[in-house]
Amino acid sequence: MSEETISVIKIRDILMVSMPSDPDDPTVAALQEKALKAMERYQAKGLVLDISKVDTLDSYFARILAETTKMISLMGGKTIIAGMQPAVAITATQLGLTLGKVGTALNVDRALDMMSQHPN
Amino acid sequence: MSLPVVSGEVKILAENDIVVARRAVREAALYLGFESTDTTRIVTGASELARNIFKYAGTGMMHWRLIKNGDMQGLELKFEDQGPGIANLDQALREGYSSSGGLGMGLPGTKRLMDEMEIKTAQGKGTTIIVRKWKRKV
Repeated sequence: MSEETISVIKIRDILMVSMPSDPDDPTVAALQEKALKAMERYQAKGLVLDISKVDTLDSYFARILAETTKMISLMGGKTIIAGMQPAVAITATQLGLTLGKVGTALNVDRALDMMSQHPN
Repeated sequence: MSLPVVSGEVKILAENDIVVARRAVREAALYLGFESTDTTRIVTGASELARNIFKYAGTGMMHWRLIKNGDMQGLELKFEDQGPGIANLDQALREGYSSSGGLGMGLPGTKRLMDEMEIKTAQGKGTTIIVRKWKRKV
């Protein structure tokens, strides 16, 4: 139903994806597929996921995020989510969602800094 | 002349109806004037309960309506399915996402997001879950 498509951008050796505000399940699934393909294609250090527009983070999104982080780490990369909205942070914590080993940053600038310091 | 919309329903027939349910609930919550954190709580809770219908029953229904209690206003959501029912409700109410590794129904967590939760279920007899959130007086 959603017409949203995920675009993976390459900034030097870092991948970046900007998530739309309310991604449906296929959009979230596409994130995983496209991110892994891009990791392989560009031999990137990792993925910065800009979630500053996301206003619903449910258990499906959290699971795919944790899975994707694990898959990227198997490929030697790091995953960082940037810009989680306060309401989303509060809700995700109350709901008991765990995001695995994903890194977190207040915004995309800090995420990119963190990523360039990551040894690879 | 249009009347205020005070109730509605979303049929849960496929995976993509989960996002339809979320968006209907978001509109209702914003219409009622819930502030952003409570809106996020309600929408996320609705997403989980709609997803449970899809995961465990395949199909079902979400009804929503505006509710009043004295001068308090709120939103009530009802999730109904004719699925297998929750065999062990006590266990389901204890097993959150953190203990089930993100799997399971997430009922304890969803209950924390809302103000009230009522569950009617029996093995082989389907499930009805009603949740309510009241608008805080600012």
